[in-house]
Amino acid sequence: MGNKQTIFTDEQLDAYQDCTFFTRKEILRLHGRYHELAPHLVPMDYTHDPDVKLPSALIVNMPELKENPFRSRIVESFSEDGEGNLSFNDFVDMFSVLSEMAPRELKAIYAFKIYDFNTDNFICKEDLEKTLNKLTREELTPEEVNLVCEKAIEEADLDGDSKLSFADFENMISRAPDFLSTFHIRI
Amino acid sequence: MDWNGSQRHGSAMGGYPSYPSPQESLRLRRRPTNVADQSSPQFNWNPDRKEDERRQDLKELPLPMALKKSIWQVQQMKIPAVSRWQSWKMQKSKTLKRFRESSGGALAYVALWRRVLQKIGGHFGGGVQSYFLFLRFLVVLNFLSFLLIASFVLVPSIVFQSHNSGNNNTVNISAGKEECTTYDPNPQGLVHFYTYFIDLLTGTGFMEYSYLFYGYYNNTEVITNDFSYNIPLAYLLTAGFYFIFCLICIVIRMGSAVRIAVKTGGKAVGGYSTLVFTGWDYGLQGDRAVRLKQNSIRYQLQVDLEEERIKLKAASLTLAQIVGLYSLRAFLNLIVLALIGGSFYGIFLATEFSQGYQGTDFVSLVVEYLPSIVITAANFLVPFLCDQIALLERHSPSTTVILALLRAVFLRMISLGVLLFTLWSQITCRTAERGTCQPCGYNHTLYPCWETRVGQEMYKLAMFDFITVIAVMILVEFPRRMVVDHCSCKLVKFVGRQEFVVPQNVLGLVYGQTVVWVGALFCPLLPVINTVKFVIIFYCKRITLFYNCRPADRTFRSTSSNFFFLLVLLFGWMLACLTLIYSVAVIHPSMSCGPFLSLTTMWRVVPNSFYSLSDTTREFLLFIGSQAFSVPLFMLSCVVLAYVAALASVYGQSVSLLRAQLKLEGRDKKFLVKQIEELSSVTKRREQNF
Repeated sequence: MGNKQTIFTDEQLDAYQDCTFFTRKEILRLHGRYHELAPHLVPMDYTHDPDVKLPSALIVNMPELKENPFRSRIVESFSEDGEGNLSFNDFVDMFSVLSEMAPRELKAIYAFKIYDFNTDNFICKEDLEKTLNKLTREELTPEEVNLVCEKAIEEADLDGDSKLSFADFENMISRAPDFLSTFHIRI
Repeated sequence: MDWNGSQRHGSAMGGYPSYPSPQESLRLRRRPTNVADQSSPQFNWNPDRKEDERRQDLKELPLPMALKKSIWQVQQMKIPAVSRWQSWKMQKSKTLKRFRESSGGALAYVALWRRVLQKIGGHFGGGVQSYFLFLRFLVVLNFLSFLLIASFVLVPSIVFQSHNSGNNNTVNISAGKEECTTYDPNPQGLVHFYTYFIDLLTGTGFMEYSYLFYGYYNNTEVITNDFSYNIPLAYLLTAGFYFIFCLICIVIRMGSAVRIAVKTGGKAVGGYSTLVFTGWDYGLQGDRAVRLKQNSIRYQLQVDLEEERIKLKAASLTLAQIVGLYSLRAFLNLIVLALIGGSFYGIFLATEFSQGYQGTDFVSLVVEYLPSIVITAANFLVPFLCDQIALLERHSPSTTVILALLRAVFLRMISLGVLLFTLWSQITCRTAERGTCQPCGYNHTLYPCWETRVGQEMYKLAMFDFITVIAVMILVEFPRRMVVDHCSCKLVKFVGRQEFVVPQNVLGLVYGQTVVWVGALFCPLLPVINTVKFVIIFYCKRITLFYNCRPADRTFRSTSSNFFFLLVLLFGWMLACLTLIYSVAVIHPSMSCGPFLSLTTMWRVVPNSFYSLSDTTREFLLFIGSQAFSVPLFMLSCVVLAYVAALASVYGQSVSLLRAQLKLEGRDKKFLVKQIEELSSVTKRREQNF
């Protein structure tokens, strides 16, 4: 069954299998999903590595991402230009990191990128406030938001600069037992 | 900056991988990919490392996909100089790895109910999913126990009874008195048609003298030249192994729950940051599920903030207020204890009345079920009243939940214990006149075959539990949802849809499983009945979850609660083990039925068959039981325990040391940066002065 497909060369499929956590069948299925987002833009023949990028507005309307409050940040973190335009490589990369076989360290790196709204490689108090508002649909009072952000930074910040660097974030994640199961999208 | 991929193979204690510096990682994501640049992280081209390790490193690199592919291409081009044998081996290992990956995907389909559980977890969260995972564990446990019992007790009994006329069987007739050996379970004369229905529900009549209950099994002992099988010994040892098997399964499952708790440092420290960063479930789909999850996160945060406020307020109470609060709490606890004691007395009375009643009409059905009815009613009313009382106690929300749970557990387990105690005291004439137990050693007038009666009692408990679950679902939950959906008055909207309360449901499962454990010695087919019952309950609960319920506002911490559920299950196991030991070692088995009718206690079959073993086996077993073996074994296990405890404390200390070291490194970094700034400003000022 695997020899009859004409979308990818065998070498390309081998490369995808070794670089992501997906099997051959899953990669072909992902290509099908990518194609049906924009059938006139995405070619069925990927053997010559076409340079096709889909805009972020199409990706965030996928059923798996549609109601996720962080959907635009997720797509931006995996795009090469930082604007959310994903090529097929980035698309596969995104779902590979979010699959259940990706290890904790890899997921922590990308989770840090997602929650870092101003991309300065630190999660400061404003980033935390935006995260919290997205999580609770802005239904907490401003004092409650302020209190929660202060307590969160106080708990996780180790070097005392009142913002979270990647080391602080990873240390906090390593003590959260549910992280691997919640940071997971099934496709 | 070198990217040393070998740091990936870390234990939890290994050093952090060297994460590319902020500027570099940004550049990685923005620059076009095919340019090999010296400033971007270099991949470790060490050719000595195995191909599997390199492939795993490539998957775990946080680089853009196209860059990973070009690294892969370069890796492929590096053909190491290997012989033909080695290249054939590499190719075969590659195919094997592909095959293992695809079969792993296929095996996932075989796991029972995997898709359903994922859907439940996505829509209702981890707490509800943990209930269904617990139910699945119990289904598998019961099914495996049934296979154990069937292969060692049921099938041999069937085989031997069908070859009953063979001359190699020895059936011991009990040399007891006339009054002790009469046992006639078959009903006499005409029976009404509805008697069959009553018999199905109570285990009497046509069901009593069948493979379902203890009384049907004989004490056949088959001895041929090359094969011997002793049914009583098999019966007893199978019961023992069944209990040990269940204990091992529970302990293994507890071990994995405990390991997670130890890894995360015990308490769920960092409550706010963990909730904000790991609270969102990325797998949620559907507008309704997302909205509910957002509500539940908001509710959890508000509850946490409220707890802080309460703690602050509690710390600021005056002495008079504290004394008043504690005396109020003591008084309310006394009321709770009185309620629980009252329900125990009610169970005792109901059991005594029900055991003495003889009749065959419909009223007798109700009387037979009286103990089950009283237990279920008590388990319904008393927790409800305790919840109302707990509102007056003014504890913090989490303490209230834990207290309610502990009270419910205590009530359920001890009420079952009271029922068993009443039964056993009736069998051993604790409450009747002395004379009735003299001839046979047990109460032969009420119980010609007391083990079957106990088995019937447990069967009735299990049946009634099942009927209650189905009846509550049909008569309470479906109508409630219809009323809520179609009626729009304020009271109805306030009450709202049914909430799926996880702890009460789990306690129901633990109660059902404890009943099966207690009854398994007397009713060998009870595990398979329980398997079918739990499977039906799974599907019914799933239907009621999706049609009638809304998720609980309070998110249940699934990791710590898993451990708690298994702990309660273990407590039920201990209760059942206690009854097993008491029945096997103390009470005289009935002389009119069952495999043990010629012995003084059930345990005696083991020493009796001990002497038929070969000499070497006998000496080996005697040696194991003697002090020369057990005392050194005990000392050795103490030494091993002390070593493991010391190792655990050393690991804990290392973890806290590393954490402190992280903090110090951050401060060092800030200090050095400040020093650099000072030095550069001093040199600049000096240059300006020249």
